[in-house]
Amino acid sequence: MWQWFFRLGSPKWFYELSGRWLPWLYVAMTVLLSIGVIWALLFVPQDYQQGDTIRIMYVHVPVASISLACFPLMAVAGVITLVWKMKLADMVAMCAAPIGAWFTAVALATGAIWGQPIWGTWWAWDARLTSMLIQFFLLIGVIALRSAIESPDAAARACALLSIVGAINVPIIKYSVEWWNTLHQPASNFAMDNESPFGPEIWVPLVIMICAVYLFFVISLILSTRNEILVRERRSQWVVDLIAAQKPQGA
Amino acid sequence: MKPHRRKKLTIIAFIATGLSVAIGLSLYALSNSIDLFFTPTQVAAGEVMNGQRVRVGGMVKEGSVVRSEESLHVEFVATDYAHDVLIRYDGILPDLFREGQGVVVEGMVANGVFEASRVLAKHDENYMSVEVKAALDASGHSMPVQETEGAGNGS
Repeated sequence: MWQWFFRLGSPKWFYELSGRWLPWLYVAMTVLLSIGVIWALLFVPQDYQQGDTIRIMYVHVPVASISLACFPLMAVAGVITLVWKMKLADMVAMCAAPIGAWFTAVALATGAIWGQPIWGTWWAWDARLTSMLIQFFLLIGVIALRSAIESPDAAARACALLSIVGAINVPIIKYSVEWWNTLHQPASNFAMDNESPFGPEIWVPLVIMICAVYLFFVISLILSTRNEILVRERRSQWVVDLIAAQKPQGA
Repeated sequence: MKPHRRKKLTIIAFIATGLSVAIGLSLYALSNSIDLFFTPTQVAAGEVMNGQRVRVGGMVKEGSVVRSEESLHVEFVATDYAHDVLIRYDGILPDLFREGQGVVVEGMVANGVFEASRVLAKHDENYMSVEVKAALDASGHSMPVQETEGAGNGS
């Protein structure tokens, strides 16, 4: 089991495996995203209270749920970096930070756009919105910390620690709507039975969008990590061979 | 697992647990300030001072909305089904404002009446298509899942 774990940490192995996966991921994402977007924008029925505004949910909810998944991912990568000193984990954590920051920013922006017509305000200092803003600043902090420390190893350790500590914010975001009273509504209950008023015509496209945006996140992360692998391993033999093999086609 | 790795992992777990407990306790202590609004029960209990700018949240009581004929002035009662607060407001209400709907109002208590400077609408976590809602109304079940969150449950 440990052998498998360490093989996973080899940048070369990851580079080759992800190269084989990427085409499939592209296809799956394109299919799901087109179905999801067309369904959500054109065919989802109007909500009885919110009318067409409910369509913002199909962007807001997937993006927000992924921005919440990104921080635990960085924290796990941080633990692996600190304990096992695996280079790949640090590369993934480094590449996840800006992507997570963008997802958090988009979640905040779409939330504001949704809030203006429904609540009557762009922003409220309630627990959910504020803790989400804190996550955005934490991610900016991780990115800044990385570039502020010159030694790559020291930067990796510092960022790993900040990611582990910052991940404490994730359950606070998740449960903020239950622990305190907020303007933001609590999480919706996806009852899969027919009793729920939240019918399949509303939640099926949402599930499709969540899968599509997850794939988008995974693809962005893989592409960014592959780039980072090539930069950091540029002196190793396999990267030199790889670039030599590609040159004739490029020239 | 090698001993030095086990040791490192223990230290990380210890730091993470310690910080979580510390943050959890501070948030618990601050929960009154983190709450976005006071509930009508808290207002009735005198937790809000006269002239203090606060937010109060509750449901718009059925049949309580009185609109002025010639201005934007509106009066309504916000309730958590235990206590009521009478609210006066001059301004534009959000589209979602209606009786039975959650609201958060910003303003201050003056002489037992809440003078609002802003009214925000809360909405619940249930989404329903127009057709489903119409069918439910026709069959007499206006809302299978009762909204409770907007009323607030104290703190």
